[in-house]
Amino acid sequence: MEDGPAALVAAVASAAPAIAASLWTSLGATVLAVAIGATLAILTERTDVPGRRGLRLAMLVAFIVPGYVAAVGWLNAYGPGGVLDDLLGVAVPALIGPLGIIIVLGVEAAPIAYLVVAAGLATRAEPDLERAARASGADAVTAFRSVTLPLLRPVLAGAAAIAFVLSVTSFGVPAVLGVPAGFTTMTTRIYRDLAFSSDPDSFVRAVGLAIVLAVGATLVIGLADVLLERHRTERSGAFGGPFGHPGTTPSGQLVEAGGARWRPRARGLGIAAWLLVVLVIIVPLVALLLSALTRAPGLDPVPANWTLEHFREVLGPRTLDALLNSALLAGAAAVGVVILGALAVASRRGQGAGPIGGFLGLTFALPGSTLAVAVLLAYGAALRDTLLIILVAYLAKFWALGYRPIASGLDGMAADLYRAARVSGADGLTTTWTIVLPVLRPLIVAGGLIVFVFGLHEVTMSSLLYGPGTSTLAVVVLNLQQLGESGPTAALAIVLTVIVALASLPLLRWGNSLERVGWR
Amino acid sequence: MTASTTPPAVSASGVVVDYGATPAVRGVDLLVQPGETLVLLGPSGSGKTTLLYALAGFLGLTEGRIELAGQLVASSDRTVPPERRPVAMVFQHYGLWPHLDALETVAYPMRRAGVANAEARRRAAELLEQLRIGDLADRRPAQLSGGEQQRVGLARALARRPAVYLLDEPTAHLDGALKGELQSEMATRLHADGAAAVHATHDVEEALAVADRVALLRDGRIVQTGDPAEVYARPADDWAAALTGPASFVGADVVGLGGAGLRGDGQVSATHDAGRFLVRPDWLRFDGPLPATVMEVRYRGTHTDYRLSIRGAEVLLREPGQPRLAVGAVASCRVERAWRMPEPR
Repeated sequence: MEDGPAALVAAVASAAPAIAASLWTSLGATVLAVAIGATLAILTERTDVPGRRGLRLAMLVAFIVPGYVAAVGWLNAYGPGGVLDDLLGVAVPALIGPLGIIIVLGVEAAPIAYLVVAAGLATRAEPDLERAARASGADAVTAFRSVTLPLLRPVLAGAAAIAFVLSVTSFGVPAVLGVPAGFTTMTTRIYRDLAFSSDPDSFVRAVGLAIVLAVGATLVIGLADVLLERHRTERSGAFGGPFGHPGTTPSGQLVEAGGARWRPRARGLGIAAWLLVVLVIIVPLVALLLSALTRAPGLDPVPANWTLEHFREVLGPRTLDALLNSALLAGAAAVGVVILGALAVASRRGQGAGPIGGFLGLTFALPGSTLAVAVLLAYGAALRDTLLIILVAYLAKFWALGYRPIASGLDGMAADLYRAARVSGADGLTTTWTIVLPVLRPLIVAGGLIVFVFGLHEVTMSSLLYGPGTSTLAVVVLNLQQLGESGPTAALAIVLTVIVALASLPLLRWGNSLERVGWR
Repeated sequence: MTASTTPPAVSASGVVVDYGATPAVRGVDLLVQPGETLVLLGPSGSGKTTLLYALAGFLGLTEGRIELAGQLVASSDRTVPPERRPVAMVFQHYGLWPHLDALETVAYPMRRAGVANAEARRRAAELLEQLRIGDLADRRPAQLSGGEQQRVGLARALARRPAVYLLDEPTAHLDGALKGELQSEMATRLHADGAAAVHATHDVEEALAVADRVALLRDGRIVQTGDPAEVYARPADDWAAALTGPASFVGADVVGLGGAGLRGDGQVSATHDAGRFLVRPDWLRFDGPLPATVMEVRYRGTHTDYRLSIRGAEVLLREPGQPRLAVGAVASCRVERAWRMPEPR
């Protein structure tokens, strides 16, 4: 056996097929995510297609539903023995395997692309620019093509970079849809290699892959940061985007001036968009629910065959322990991040992190697989199989998630608020305590909530780090799925999604509360 | 200093402030007496705000020293923080805290000074009442108009009872009537207990209206200081003349021909010496010895501006009322007053 870097390189090379599989499925998912996200963003932000509010909500739902839950939903809807199969005898052939991974990853990353493009539409390509083109004699389509689209190009590239990283670092989706088909990606390979970590070759390979994954993701995210930050305009200092400010984003520009000719086409587009949303987001969730309710696989999902048995089963002691673990971890991570964030605010006056930069830092600082491997290397000896080791990984992963909104809030806070306090007789510490932290409170609360929500459905790190008695909800869902217990899996996935959705609800009011305290 | 003399509210000498790479304030001397309003008038980028920040304590000095009410607050090796200076500030963008209502905002400086909560709130309510926004006490900034916000900002400054008020373009974001209202509010409130004010603005009308003295600021240096009438009538150079109002420049021949009987300081003697003369639009009148062609007419409501060509020089003439001459008309006029520009050094 070779040693040192050579061994690492050899180990990574031996996993070349997994690397290739990750790359091409992620590229496919990226194309899909940007296509869906950008189209919906343009439709909801720039046209008057019917049901825009509903489309936004659908993106929000897709954002909240964890990838592995969506994957299970897709299996239940379109897979062999799924609802469609039961009712019509039709199953999507290669759903288990690369095609399914591409589709579900694409749908999972679409909301991020949607958010980035919608924010770009509001800030980089503000409606006045389009109006100026119209007033210069361009028709609606020409104005869009010659003004809005070129301005959006860096935003689209940035959205693609984010979607790619999200896809390439995803563990839950390939675990559900790839592993049963023997299709291995980097993240599932790391999982398998760590499971056999008594074999030194496997462990070295896991470490090597974790490094490759981290370097690749960081490079691509760096690219996105450059693309999105460099082209950021002054006005994007505002908070928001369609989730943050429901109803305040300008809508209908394309149509408002476009007149009757544009309307029928917009209606057609709207129907197409709705059809897509129903097929890729709503049907899988409904199928999940039906599968959770239906007594046994293979039975028709009709009321006569419905039962609450699966729910009763998954709400048993083992699952309750996992629920408790997840809640405990998520809560501890949220509190930890908030306290660290507040301390960081108190100790210095923040550094540049615009909303998009903040957004980038959010989920993508480092791949969960890499962090889990790193935490194992650092603390494995002392903390293996404890909740604490998972918490350490969560804090490392979610630190940026919770702190960046706070930092960007600090950045967006007018310096005059601080000066006004000082010149009213408050020293630096008093100013932080009486002005800065209270002004940032909505953001601090939001940061904590985001961490809590992500902690609740976290799957990658907890899968790699859990031990006896420390499994999380996500781990139990994956385990049930691998045991082929589709009913209980679906039931638990529903429970998990509902909990996550409930925890996310306050975040919906985030934008409003920000406005109420005077953030523009 | 003897006990009987009151120290100046502001005494600054040789103040240099580096802000970034280039010095933003490059050697400024200021003396402001209690009860006096000094206006810093200059275009954006001239160093007004930097100078105010140095007075407030947000920026340290590279050179020079600042005393406020007799207390040394800043020198090149010492910067007393804002909270320990006898100053209060009103901000261009109001600087109101989004999480506090008007009453809490105005009570804030008093709370910092150790006043008990109930007493601070009582006095804050009183101040809001005096500024005629007593009924807005429970509103947060997002629920207030610009004019109301700036009244709260003013009340917050008043609550600190400082020796010096620092006003950073306080009316820049208010229009028309609101601007005037706030100006008179400041004029009556700020000096009630003998405090001084340093008021930065780029608006010449506001500067001349509120100032006891005006300092003209260019590239971080004071070009000229004087009372409003003085800087308007006797600017130190062309730049100062243009900054302080509409300015036309003519030769001695025009003044000599049209200004018979002008004498004295500012009332230029009608000698045929060389030099350039400033003529303000209100110093010119129709009917006189100078033949003039009307180039342009601008009706402005209370008055009408005429751009005239007199012996090859372009001058602006302003008179009350509606236009009575059309473009192209030939008229005559006289110079009632002119200011001989100092020779450039």
